[in-house]
Amino acid sequence: MSAPLTRAEAEDLLFREALLIDTQRFAEWLGLFTPDVEFWMPAWRDESSTTEDPDRELSLIYYKGRRNLEDRVMRLTSGLSTASSPLPRVVHQVTNVMVLEATEDGATVSAAFTCHRHDVRMNRSDCFFGRYEYQLVRQDSAWLIAHKKITLLNDTIPTVVDINSI
Amino acid sequence: MDVTRYVDDRPEDGVFRVNRAIFTDQAVFEREIEQIFEGGWVFLGIESQAENPHDFFTTTMGRVPVMVQRDGEGTLRGFVNSCPHKGARLAQTRAGNARLHVCPYHSWSFDSAGRSKAIKSHRAGCYSAAFEQTDHGLAALPRFEAYRGFLFGSLAADVMPLADYLGEAAKLLDLVADQSEEGLELVPGQVTFTYEANWKLQLENCSDAYHFTSAHPSYIRVLERRQQEMSADVVASVWENSDYWKEEAQGVAGGSYSFANGHVLNWGIFGITPAIPLYESAGALAERHGEGKRDWMFNMRNLTIFPNLQVAENASSQLRVIRPLAPGLTEMRTWCIAPKGESAAARRQRIRQYEDFFNPTGMATPDDTVSYENCQIGYAGTVEPWLQGYARGMTATVEGGNRFSDLIGMAPERSVLADAQLCDETLFHSYYRAWAQRMAGESEA
Repeated sequence: MSAPLTRAEAEDLLFREALLIDTQRFAEWLGLFTPDVEFWMPAWRDESSTTEDPDRELSLIYYKGRRNLEDRVMRLTSGLSTASSPLPRVVHQVTNVMVLEATEDGATVSAAFTCHRHDVRMNRSDCFFGRYEYQLVRQDSAWLIAHKKITLLNDTIPTVVDINSI
Repeated sequence: MDVTRYVDDRPEDGVFRVNRAIFTDQAVFEREIEQIFEGGWVFLGIESQAENPHDFFTTTMGRVPVMVQRDGEGTLRGFVNSCPHKGARLAQTRAGNARLHVCPYHSWSFDSAGRSKAIKSHRAGCYSAAFEQTDHGLAALPRFEAYRGFLFGSLAADVMPLADYLGEAAKLLDLVADQSEEGLELVPGQVTFTYEANWKLQLENCSDAYHFTSAHPSYIRVLERRQQEMSADVVASVWENSDYWKEEAQGVAGGSYSFANGHVLNWGIFGITPAIPLYESAGALAERHGEGKRDWMFNMRNLTIFPNLQVAENASSQLRVIRPLAPGLTEMRTWCIAPKGESAAARRQRIRQYEDFFNPTGMATPDDTVSYENCQIGYAGTVEPWLQGYARGMTATVEGGNRFSDLIGMAPERSVLADAQLCDETLFHSYYRAWAQRMAGESEA
């Protein structure tokens, strides 16, 4: 019998994920996701509601499968993307972490985030903020991310938002 | 305005050059707003954005806030979105449904046909006779017309009819509108982004075949990986199922068409492939419209209706509205545009392809917009003010159309038929000839 996920364990995972992105350890970051992860940042349908059905409505980002995140990381770090070279400096602050549901091998976690990004190319700083919703699953002794939904609240986007600044 | 300072157009000498100042000068920008965005036809939206009685949506024409509203009888009208009382913005949201708009400042109200309904405490107001004789309704746009569900307005009344303004380029809007008998719709989910560069960079980039393999090698690398390591998790890209854009491609691969009033198309041959969501309708579309027109619906097409509408049907189908905010700042509002009634699987494929390539969060658009910003920085270098980016295709461009435009009975002003390496730049001339006419005040558009 394993104990359900605690808030401290959830924070450890979410803070570690933030650190891996902030320090550009993308291979380790990818290792936090299940192979069939759903990674989703909906678009806004109107002033007060986001899109809800990724198959019938547009998302800012929607991927089913870690393989797609690998493609994104490959592009981001390839040196072949003008928008990503040099990579911006980012720091994620993940707060308000709550375990909403927890069983022995699964958990739903919500959190808030701000991501400060300094675009060294344009000498410009931006801040993105919103909420996270995670579905975590226990595999062996580790918790992995099976679903991550990012609700970006300030969605008039200055030029670019990539997976490292949300 | 002496436009020869900005556009050096001498076909007899084989010269077409654009001055960097066209993208940076504040006085040029202000005249563009007056002459082009507030002085002639601009795109407002599509009819399905206000589908039902009393539906409305909001947009801007230059600096002017605009509301497009359907009344209870189904008639669409365009209004300035500003209360005649104190000028406050009336409709506060991008879209909605309202039989009555009540101004949030002093409660003047208007029906969905723009007529004044009530002035709060009217009788107690001690108004003069002159006031009572004034119309208190919303200011209608001087011109408001639709073509196949695409809505346009003009803040200047003395412009040619919309059909004349669109001219032969209207047949390219037909290729979008005719993909379904039920018409067009915007997939829910609007994406808005800004970039720190001039609006005309977006105008040009959409028509620019030359940049693709240079600006998007990271995306092309992803396509190569997908071809090497097939995965059911990855949605098939239209690009990876086509070779026309590749530098080593052989034979006629596409080309460009230029039209009067600044409209242009660049296009390429994708073929009838399952990678395109429209594939499920390939047979029906051929029956309904003939094979020639059907094949055109499957071609890669990047269409600009000058000055602010682009319909890009390449990786997916995108409708873009360009809004200049300052010489070095532009807002883009973008949607996935789709034929109504397509299958759930086709719609899903269209959306996935869209998110993969487009969007400020996608894998291609940011490499374009960041390049615009690099251009805007570079434009400060006025040691040699004339740009050399308008010269490819000068000896290939011909008057009139060709065997491909003949397939849809379309007669452009000029055309280029090209292999993959030509990457015509003469289509930009159409933008700047229209621009120069409008800026000089010679043309009423």
